[in-house]
Amino acid sequence: MPRLIIDEREIEVPPGTKVIDAAERLGILIPRFCYHEGLGAVGACRMCAVQFVEGPVKGLQMSCMVDAQDGMVVSTSHEEAVEFRRFIIECLMLNHPHDCPVCDEGGQCLLQDETVSGGHGLRRYQGKKRTYRDQYLGELIAHEMNRCIHCYRCSRFYQEFSGYRDLGPLQIANRVFYGRFKDGPLESPFSGNLVDICPTGVYTDKPSRYKARRWDLQRTPSVCIHCSLGCNTVANARYREVVRVEARFSGEVNGHFICDRGRFGFPYTNLPGRPRTARTAGGECSQGEAVAAAAEKLREISSTFGPQAVACFGSSRNSLETQCMLKRICRLQGWQVPGFFVDPALERRVRAAVSLLDASAGVSMREVERADCVVAAGVDPVNEAPMLALAMRQAFRRGAEILVADPRPIFLPFPFIHVPVSMERMDSFLEGLARLAGESSDGTGVREADLLSQIVQNGGLASSDLPLPVSFCRALFGSQNPVVLCGTECVRESTLPAAAALARDLRKGRDRAGLLYVLPGANAFGAGLLNSQGHPGFSRLLESVESGSVRALIVTESDPLNDFCHRDRLLGTLGKLDLLVVMDFLDSETARMAHVFLPTTTHFESGSCFVNHEGRLQYAEAVHHGGIPIEQAGGGSHPPRVYRGDIPGEGPKAAWVILAELGRTLGIPDRDLLGLGPWSLIGEEIPSLKRLEGTVFPPEGIRILSDGDPVQWVQGPEARDGEDDRGAVPPGDFFEILLTHWTFGTEELSSRSGPLQKVEKEPYGMMHSDDARVLGFSEGDRIVLSLEGGQIRFRLSVADRMGRGVLVLPRHRKLAWRNIPEMPCFVPRDRIRREDS
Amino acid sequence: MLSDALKETLRGKIAQGEHPREHAVDVMLEIQKRCGYMSDEAMEEAATLLGMSPLELEELATFYDHIYREPVGKYVIRVCDSAVCWMHGHLSVVDHLTSLLGIGMGETTPDGLFTVLPVCCLGYCDRAPAMMINQRIFGQLTPEKIDRVIRRLREEASFDEAE
Repeated sequence: MPRLIIDEREIEVPPGTKVIDAAERLGILIPRFCYHEGLGAVGACRMCAVQFVEGPVKGLQMSCMVDAQDGMVVSTSHEEAVEFRRFIIECLMLNHPHDCPVCDEGGQCLLQDETVSGGHGLRRYQGKKRTYRDQYLGELIAHEMNRCIHCYRCSRFYQEFSGYRDLGPLQIANRVFYGRFKDGPLESPFSGNLVDICPTGVYTDKPSRYKARRWDLQRTPSVCIHCSLGCNTVANARYREVVRVEARFSGEVNGHFICDRGRFGFPYTNLPGRPRTARTAGGECSQGEAVAAAAEKLREISSTFGPQAVACFGSSRNSLETQCMLKRICRLQGWQVPGFFVDPALERRVRAAVSLLDASAGVSMREVERADCVVAAGVDPVNEAPMLALAMRQAFRRGAEILVADPRPIFLPFPFIHVPVSMERMDSFLEGLARLAGESSDGTGVREADLLSQIVQNGGLASSDLPLPVSFCRALFGSQNPVVLCGTECVRESTLPAAAALARDLRKGRDRAGLLYVLPGANAFGAGLLNSQGHPGFSRLLESVESGSVRALIVTESDPLNDFCHRDRLLGTLGKLDLLVVMDFLDSETARMAHVFLPTTTHFESGSCFVNHEGRLQYAEAVHHGGIPIEQAGGGSHPPRVYRGDIPGEGPKAAWVILAELGRTLGIPDRDLLGLGPWSLIGEEIPSLKRLEGTVFPPEGIRILSDGDPVQWVQGPEARDGEDDRGAVPPGDFFEILLTHWTFGTEELSSRSGPLQKVEKEPYGMMHSDDARVLGFSEGDRIVLSLEGGQIRFRLSVADRMGRGVLVLPRHRKLAWRNIPEMPCFVPRDRIRREDS
Repeated sequence: MLSDALKETLRGKIAQGEHPREHAVDVMLEIQKRCGYMSDEAMEEAATLLGMSPLELEELATFYDHIYREPVGKYVIRVCDSAVCWMHGHLSVVDHLTSLLGIGMGETTPDGLFTVLPVCCLGYCDRAPAMMINQRIFGQLTPEKIDRVIRRLREEASFDEAE
């Protein structure tokens, strides 16, 4: 480990550390523009010059370009270095428009900081400044090129790091311009990071433009809840509304960046239509009155029909506290075991995934970046968990081979091998790969051709569907650190153990082979952990309501009407209930049907725990107290000077607090509810987390995976009874419908974001061009799909690189996908026709 | 916009390389030879042929001085503005040329014959001041020589047009 002296202080750093980072470890922030830890060094801006006084390198050098070495003596305040940096910042400022008062970057601007640190106070250049014409870059990012200092961070992030190809450096020398070929929205779903990495105000966050200075904002470490990855963010609030979300560095989860769904998806918390007052049949009332009304009715139902006539339902966007409290109340009251997913098959898959992960297999996104070979099965990263695609791209940049087995048309921002295996054959495809890996580990050599033909046969593939498979198999054998990624949204339940088995087989003869499941929702892992054995499944729950054995339903931060396929049936069933209690922060359809409605806070308003896909328990701190945003209260102007008796934000409470109050009203002693405190509550409900009680919460969260036998850790779903065996393709000529997520427009919370609604695509269905040809369809045709529940109309898009016999539809609100009776869904070809015929 | 024949020629050229984008600059020069300059449509079509995004091709096109993204005259006059030419009266060459043609630096004459651009450097320092017109180089420029050259080119152009 090299030891060096920087500004008369000694430090030892790992080999390969740049001097600029070594200094940062000592708390010395050497001025810089082009250098960014996430992007690496290029030595373009010359701002980080320091003097090397003694050692293997001598003289004035760029500290971002020199590796720390033994014996170095470095001075950041040497006369020569200070003078050099003063000239550099003076040059960089020649053309800067000095428009800080109207620039959103002002107050959080590296250029301001370095101008001051460089000592450039007096302008000597009197010439004309260079000016540019700005471009329209879409609804998320504003462009102001005159502020640019040509550090290349934006194009390096956009092209090199994230792999998108529509923004880059144009022109030459003093005229260098960063932009697109033509005006138009940026194609990358990671474009918001330009705001964070630009050292000045060239790229600013458009939705929050002119809203606040950094120092006026309430800022707090938060966690993104728009998918299961749990990226770390900084939430910014002002005047009782969340103004903007920024990326927060996390060494293990998201690195320096986040996706645009996470950055621009928050406005659901500020919406004017957000319900903030409790409601009963008699109209608006106080929170306490609503709790009392609900408790009275619950007591009545419980005593007449027994406690089993009360059921509870949560979701994967619940905080862990809420999920635990829900389970606790149900147990203490003898109500039905709570469920968290409207799709029983999905619930089983989540439980399977959680039970199959253990500390030796589960990997973080950072570990995916370091993988040298990646197999992804039934997962569409850009659409389901965008940042995973960036992690995979970093693996690709380090030389990893990447294969995606999925019948959907998959786009990733790097070259990869796409094998369009059907969901039904996915397991045998993975088993084939596992066998290949096994053959290689016992040293008998691989009969590639044999095994390959086997895979092709098992996967139900035409050999033309397998581009470059041999090279991939070789890469998989030769890999030291392979990772298996597996989705849960669209795959069969049996694919989850098949992916785990592949990871296990790969681990033989290797140090490590990782396994990562992409889960449906920010806290789907928590829902799986609560091991809802005994929960009958949502469909059975509906049957019980229909038969009258369940009379009351408590829905906690969940919108079954949004998620459930068979919409008409659900509407009818919910109408039969004697009591529907809904707690939510969304103005959801389910909430509008409630007999008793209780408004809850978002995770921006009350701190909450979420467990991400790899079992990392992370705490999102509250950023503000909530309340009606001042902009809304004052209609965009100063708030009215009218006396009000309420305290801003007093109405809604955290769902778990409301649940506890409900429990207390029903007679549960407080020491068993709120008196426990969140940690004890979690520990009581999830025994394996008891050991965490009293733990100081580290910034990177707590990885709660067990080292031991995964089966003892949490129980997977019980074996299927024969009648429940769904997922086998019926004989005959059928299309399997795959309901999928899109980056924008399908996720429950972010699809309520105004800025993202402007970005999302109009929904369309996709099928293989061969299938379309047989049916006589072509690109752009309007198609009608007739199902028992009703019709689904959509525009068709055809693709060559996808599986045959599948029809891919997004869960988009503008598409009537809820007419699908249940998943998985197979439709005969004659049910699909062109609209005009 | 690009003719099918031209596209075929370009495809042949591109196929010769190990990576299609190796020939990006050649393809643009070839199109420019036929069409005079790289229009937005030509950029997009060339990018498709090369398997690049229009932006990636634009990065190259705007980096190189000899690829034109706007229409230029039949004769592109590049006046060297290196230090040596400057010492030998580059500024008076520019003055003379621009007043003779009635256009500023970087502009094209209304008849579409001449465009004047700066260049650095033609490597003709021993015969400074120098200029280059299309592929031909002229040194030891004097006002008289410039007048002569321009007159000849005008004659050549009207001859080309007549024929």
